[in-house]
Amino acid sequence: MTRPSPRDIKAIADAGGVPVDAEVAARIGNSIGPAFEGFEPVSGTLPFDLEPATFLLVQTAKASS
Amino acid sequence: MSSEPALMSLTAVAKAIAAKQVSSQEVTRSCLHRIAQWQPRLNAFMSVEAEAALKAAGEADAELAKGKSRGPLHGVPLAHKDMYYEAGHVVTCGSKIRRDFVPATTSTALQRLKDAGSIRLGSLQMVEFAYGPTGHNFHHGAVHNPWKFGHITGGSSSGSGSAVAARLTFAALGSDTGGSIRMPAHFCGVTGLKVTWGRISRAGAMPLSQSLDTVGPLARTAEDCALLLGLMAGPDPEDPTASDVPAGDYVAATAASIKGLRIGVPSSFYVDDLDADVAKILDNTVAVLKREGADIVKVDLPDQRQLSAACQIVLATEAASFHKRWLIERPQDYGPQVLMRLQNGLAIPGVLYLETMRWRAQALAAHIDATGAVDAVLAPVAPVAAPTIAESDVGNGPDAEAVIQRLTRFTRPINYLGLPSLAVPAGFTPKGLPVGMQLIGRSFDEVTLLTIAAAFQRATDFHDKVPQLS
Repeated sequence: MTRPSPRDIKAIADAGGVPVDAEVAARIGNSIGPAFEGFEPVSGTLPFDLEPATFLLVQTAKASS
Repeated sequence: MSSEPALMSLTAVAKAIAAKQVSSQEVTRSCLHRIAQWQPRLNAFMSVEAEAALKAAGEADAELAKGKSRGPLHGVPLAHKDMYYEAGHVVTCGSKIRRDFVPATTSTALQRLKDAGSIRLGSLQMVEFAYGPTGHNFHHGAVHNPWKFGHITGGSSSGSGSAVAARLTFAALGSDTGGSIRMPAHFCGVTGLKVTWGRISRAGAMPLSQSLDTVGPLARTAEDCALLLGLMAGPDPEDPTASDVPAGDYVAATAASIKGLRIGVPSSFYVDDLDADVAKILDNTVAVLKREGADIVKVDLPDQRQLSAACQIVLATEAASFHKRWLIERPQDYGPQVLMRLQNGLAIPGVLYLETMRWRAQALAAHIDATGAVDAVLAPVAPVAAPTIAESDVGNGPDAEAVIQRLTRFTRPINYLGLPSLAVPAGFTPKGLPVGMQLIGRSFDEVTLLTIAAAFQRATDFHDKVPQLS
């Protein structure tokens, strides 16, 4: 998933019920954009049968082994 | 016993009170005396409750005189980050929005320390809503580093780091979502324990990011952290995420040898772009641990930048969700930087957030595979010692997030993986600023971290150094 444009951000924020102006949208893009890029190699690659709670299984399985 | 009780460790003062070598009132007066001297320079306390503390100390002494002890912390005065709910007390969360908030309940962690006999000195400063790593606070002012006024303490547990370092409280609760215990421990020269996610109940602790938030202590020694962890760890009906994985004998662990333990030093990322002073202290730390009997080996960790990015996405999304109502109704009541960071979460699509949450299991499994041959990993907490308050006051400027991300790049991956990490004082720069190192462990294996840290502290005296009021 690539870095969102200020226009994308404005649309998402508006839809979420917390509208932001163009300047704030640009600032958000500048701040959070690198996180989108950092996660890009992983995004869209995860196996189908993987859900968030699997984390607890990994965490506790290793703790008790 | 020290002629100034406030200079004792938590473990030592608790034993001294129990043995009636010193009274709770004498100890409390000693802390209050130091607070009166230091607070005008540090701004570490949000509130000082001298009269109530002395009254509670008097009651503790009277109970002890009758042979009654409430527990291992009987009569020990403590102050904590101002985000732990205590029924009937204002809990500001470092904010303007909650300036007058009085909760009806008490947080589980705090209650367990109260049940062990501790008494309340007041509350400690923090970054607004715990969302920032430097210690700046737009509403309540920056907290100063007792080692050098005008330098940051780190955050968000800024008051906790500053007050413990200056010997104003024997220990303090902090919270760690992206580094908020380890950063102040590093910058202020104290010991700070970020526990495994789920090790200590979060009930009644102000939330920032439910998937990352952890409760933990800052104290002078590993032994002190062990004592507090043992009192707080364990399941809690008020917090379904508090784990029932059995707690260890943490205090006993601090007496064990590290002979034969294998400690990994990362071959990249955590050793890249370090300030020269920090790099030298890392080398010295490795040498001490080796001398104490540990085997030091290189470890190749998975890509930490991806972990860091995932952490940022989880944190931003969950924080924005908690704050959404106030973002709509009271945006003007946030400081500029905290508002900016909360707004970041508005830009994250739900699918991306859930991908970061789904990947967490794979990422942890990959870390376990990479570190299977070692008992713990040693790494710096931050690439630099404490910068000045002025130079790190980036507000909501265009470089603010980049500055924040650089400071926290060694701590965030650990929060994403939910692993325990113990920051220990490891040296001082030539300018007299403390530098800490973090020991990163396996899930729920705080025991090993405390063993290594205690052995390191038996071999060094960085944790015993006391800043002087100039």
